[in-house]
Amino acid sequence: MSRLEIYSPEGLRLDGRRWNELRRFESSINTHPHASDGSSYLEQGNNKIITLVKGPKEPTSRSQVDTNKALLRISVNITQFSKFERSKSSHRNERRVLEMQTALVRTFEKNVMLNLYPRTLIDIEIHVLQQDGGIMGSLLNGITLALIDAGIAMYDYISGISVGLYDTTPLLDVNSLEETAMSSVTLGVVGKSEKLSLLLVEDKIPLDRMETVLAIGIAGAHRIRDLMDEELRSHAEKRVANASSR
Amino acid sequence: MSGVISVVKRHGDFQYSVDSTNIQNDEDEDISMSDVDIADRKLSKDNDNESGLQIVTPGELVTDDPIWMRGHGTYFLDNMTYSSVAGAVSRVNRLLSVIPLKSRYSPETGDHIVGRVAEVGNKRWRVDIGGKQHAILMLGSVNLPGGILRRKSESDELQMRSFLKEGDLLNAEVQSLFQDGSASLHTRSLKYGKLRNGMFCQVPSSLIVRSKNHTHNLPGNITVVLGVNGFIWLRKTSQMDLVRDAPPGGSTGATSSQRSTAGPTGAVSLNPSITRLEEESSWQIYSDENDPTISSNIRKTICRYANVIKALAFCEIGITQERVISAYEASMAYPNVGSLIERETMESIGHDVLNVEKMRGNAN
Amino acid sequence: MAKEIEISNSESKFLLEALRQNYRLDGRSFSQFRDVKIAFGDEYGDVTIEMGKTKVHCRISCQITQPYEDRPFEGLFLISTENSPMAGPQFENGNNTNEDEVLIARIIEKAVRRSGALDIEGLCIVAGSKCWAVRADVHFLNCDGGFIDASCIAVMAGLLHFRKPDITVHGEQVIMHPVDEREPVPLGILHVPICVTFSFFNPMDTEENIKGDTNAEITIIDATLKEELLRDGVLTVTLNKNREVVQVSKAGGLPMDALSLMECCRKAYAITEEITDKITYVLKKDEKRRNKFADLLTSENARETS
Repeated sequence: MSRLEIYSPEGLRLDGRRWNELRRFESSINTHPHASDGSSYLEQGNNKIITLVKGPKEPTSRSQVDTNKALLRISVNITQFSKFERSKSSHRNERRVLEMQTALVRTFEKNVMLNLYPRTLIDIEIHVLQQDGGIMGSLLNGITLALIDAGIAMYDYISGISVGLYDTTPLLDVNSLEETAMSSVTLGVVGKSEKLSLLLVEDKIPLDRMETVLAIGIAGAHRIRDLMDEELRSHAEKRVANASSR
Repeated sequence: MSGVISVVKRHGDFQYSVDSTNIQNDEDEDISMSDVDIADRKLSKDNDNESGLQIVTPGELVTDDPIWMRGHGTYFLDNMTYSSVAGAVSRVNRLLSVIPLKSRYSPETGDHIVGRVAEVGNKRWRVDIGGKQHAILMLGSVNLPGGILRRKSESDELQMRSFLKEGDLLNAEVQSLFQDGSASLHTRSLKYGKLRNGMFCQVPSSLIVRSKNHTHNLPGNITVVLGVNGFIWLRKTSQMDLVRDAPPGGSTGATSSQRSTAGPTGAVSLNPSITRLEEESSWQIYSDENDPTISSNIRKTICRYANVIKALAFCEIGITQERVISAYEASMAYPNVGSLIERETMESIGHDVLNVEKMRGNAN
Repeated sequence: MAKEIEISNSESKFLLEALRQNYRLDGRSFSQFRDVKIAFGDEYGDVTIEMGKTKVHCRISCQITQPYEDRPFEGLFLISTENSPMAGPQFENGNNTNEDEVLIARIIEKAVRRSGALDIEGLCIVAGSKCWAVRADVHFLNCDGGFIDASCIAVMAGLLHFRKPDITVHGEQVIMHPVDEREPVPLGILHVPICVTFSFFNPMDTEENIKGDTNAEITIIDATLKEELLRDGVLTVTLNKNREVVQVSKAGGLPMDALSLMECCRKAYAITEEITDKITYVLKKDEKRRNKFADLLTSENARETS
């Protein structure tokens, strides 16, 4: 892996991007209107993710009832065929996946207005069809879109992105080759602010480089917010136009 | 979104100098967070939208004017009101709210709904009405066999399952709302009660337009119950349905006034023929048996109606009696009922319905 | 959690109000780490850490096994962090899928194992067939917050303290010398990661936190159990003395300004330095204590050291 040229002297990365370029970002919402209350399909580079939001609905068991707020439950299904080589395990109860789920729940618990939906359950189901690095950021984006599609009240967008650090150059939106070759930071940014809801670093990064990495990460996350916003608005306009023709 | 998405530095506390060799697209110019910019962008969006509706997304500043009262779908900090959902801004008097494009059904008092019994509990049924929570139907708010003035006894409590059990469908009216937004139902009228002799179908609740009447007799000897919650029941028209629709001797004005008085108090104010009918049928209102006389033709018609309703829902056209009938007429061009839910067919039916409506509008 | 610890409303109000007025219940300042007591047992790799009432015990052990087929030049290193009801009623026996427990395990794993604190290539004896398997068993004896910080210190102090038996290799033959025969050898430690946990409290409305510019969120270091139960967000930063960020985990919770998070990292660095020095100091002291007996056994002439 280390023999690959991650960042050429001309300033190009493995897939031809420059350091400050995002991957292709395509999203659509309301993709599964019958199976869920809100849904989204997201392609961020080669990450392909389906997110389904079910609820707010009646909790399936009494123990899930909270009289003050809704219960948020997120389950991440990383399919066995999501990587180049088929994985042997189903990833269901892996600690890594459990940790992801916990992190996602704790991120959205503070952002969704759960107090508006007492005694209910909001169930979020994520299927990762294909993964290519920066999966955590893509999950955040997918959930944000699906929650908005479901009409669930939330304070702001949360947009996620991963930034790698190659020597001294931050590389925005890393893919899996870059992710394995260098250390990266995952951010979850609230709306257009500089507030971070989620911040994960899993490998060594010099303390003095953190700031530049965060700066470009926040800028990238804002860009992703705008891209999601665009998709939502075009969808909304289509629906409103449809409604006015009634 | 096919072009290069490059990110450029922002104004903010974090400053990062951009490598001068990087090409910057103009459209990717600085992303700024000042309120002026947000307002500007919103203005331009307003102009784009010719229908005059303002569409907002979560976290967006709706107004900084403190005179507005904040309704659903908003939150505020000091004078600023922000949206919490994606939808259209509605300003009613001084109440500012954002109506989401799509959300679960939220019950309102007086709604005619169709539901499914989910649980039999202590003196109450819990009914799935497709909302955020199950609605509650108290034993005291249903008509029991043996006359409406009968007192409820302990034996009724014990045999609640013989009236309504898990899985039964019923139509009811929302009697009141609890503090947490869940609904209490009642079926104390002849229009309400257990549903049989037909088929269920579901559409998004936003497509059902609230109106005075939600039970309609349709051509082809079919009756439809359009629940406000998006649950729809299609059945063979019964004697009761016919009587309800027939003018009771007087003028049509009398009908409506009588119908409006026939509220939760039950059938007392209805005309004698219904009262008699009710007595005859009261023991059957909780029957699980379907009519043995449903012909295959009727079944086919029910399916046709179900499929045209699906087609209307697919085209996101609001569902009313007129539209169901006009879609049904349009669907006659397709002899095979099953072909109605093919994508092109659904689209063309939706088209036809809207066209017919336009022509009628012109004719008037 | 099996039995969620409930804090009464009045108590939680009292604690939050105190925080608003710049006080903590135990009298510490907001950025003060609890005093860390490190005690070594008689054997190598036996450490007990005390931070206030939090008590964590760590035992390092090793044995010779076969390396993984795909990594023939690397030894094995395993950290086991199992909670038992001994630490507190909120922990369930044998059920380690609880959210908090998974997070603790994952963070320690990332901080120590994935960051390469232990030189696992140095554990290789015969490539492909024999290697050392080092195991760190962390036991939580008492819970008063700061499990991650304490267990990270415990594991690192344990690894630094541990000595594995000396070996001689003749081709495929490996002779392991008992500890009393030959002086055991220390492990190769590449860097010493230290975890510092910050807890965030929001003294105002959520709206202010999301949309306001005041950034008035309260940040405290090394929360106690009560503070942990009431906090709105948590950030664990792992650093080493080389000014490297080894791991950062802010898994949701209260959104915080990026600048204040950077500030946290800097504060954490100061604490990291302090704790690393402390560990080195305690290790030296323990070394001296052991050497007192070693001096009697050595054939060298005892030299007067002043």
